[in-house]
Amino acid sequence: MIRSLGLYSVLSLCLLAGCATSPANVAGAGTQLETRQIQTRVYDTLDKAMTMRSVIATLQDLGFTIDQADSELGTVTATRLHEYTMRMTVTVVERDGRRISVRTNARIGENSVTDANTYQDFFVALDKAMFLTLHKVD
Amino acid sequence: MSRALFSLLPIAVLSGCAVSIPEAALRLPESTLDVRSMQTRTLAAPSEIDILTATIAVLQDMEFNIERIEKPLGVITASKVTDADSKAEKSGLFVLDLLCVMGGGNDCDAMSTAQDDQHITLTLVVLPSLARGDEFTARITIQRVIYDKMDRIKALERIDDAQTYQTIFDNLRKSLFLQVGAK
Repeated sequence: MIRSLGLYSVLSLCLLAGCATSPANVAGAGTQLETRQIQTRVYDTLDKAMTMRSVIATLQDLGFTIDQADSELGTVTATRLHEYTMRMTVTVVERDGRRISVRTNARIGENSVTDANTYQDFFVALDKAMFLTLHKVD
Repeated sequence: MSRALFSLLPIAVLSGCAVSIPEAALRLPESTLDVRSMQTRTLAAPSEIDILTATIAVLQDMEFNIERIEKPLGVITASKVTDADSKAEKSGLFVLDLLCVMGGGNDCDAMSTAQDDQHITLTLVVLPSLARGDEFTARITIQRVIYDKMDRIKALERIDDAQTYQTIFDNLRKSLFLQVGAK
């Protein structure tokens, strides 16, 4: 009985240890290049304003509200409240003077989203919005 | 028994704080078109600024605070904190507490889980029509966080009530009419 109690306490300590946080994880994990690759898509357009509007439309389609948008710096930050809190920042920048690069990063609660498929889903939705905005289908 | 507990140790360590990223978190849901049409209207106005100005007036009518405006992208974000008390919910929780006390319970505090206030965030985005210079689409998205009496988050949700959007757009059309007429 006493032995079982001891084991239970060790088990509880392990559970708590699983939650132990490292001191101020500011820099984040993952390699810079790898992260950038899965978070970035380049578009053959020079229309930064319309690209930003497409990003905003996509975020709205995905159920986000826009916290902040800056057309000059090309950033949009948005939040979705649905069972959990998801925050996204999308940056739109001109590249090589002939293309537009869109980079996004997402967090769910305290966790950074690192899954490549999740970002792929976002860009699939953005591709549609880019088409609709630039061709004014909707 | 002990062996079983020992085998649980690594799982306990690994699962202590594991949080799974939901699959399809950024995949467009099938309901996208329905939701979009509920949240979107086409408005006729001389300029995008007229719609933004009329929107600000409507948001003030609805007691929102304007958080941010980004004119070049036609984005307005506003928020407000309001009462979320529900008499029906309170009555139900009162009955629960009563049954708990009658049953001899010591910790009968279901009432503390009652809704107390809600923090609402609204975004309006105006998109100019490429076909017509005097036509714009306006899309509104609304979310809210509901807190209980102990200031704990009770719900995080998007507002999906079509009537709410209809009322706001009706008010926006009136505001736009006044805005354009006053010029």
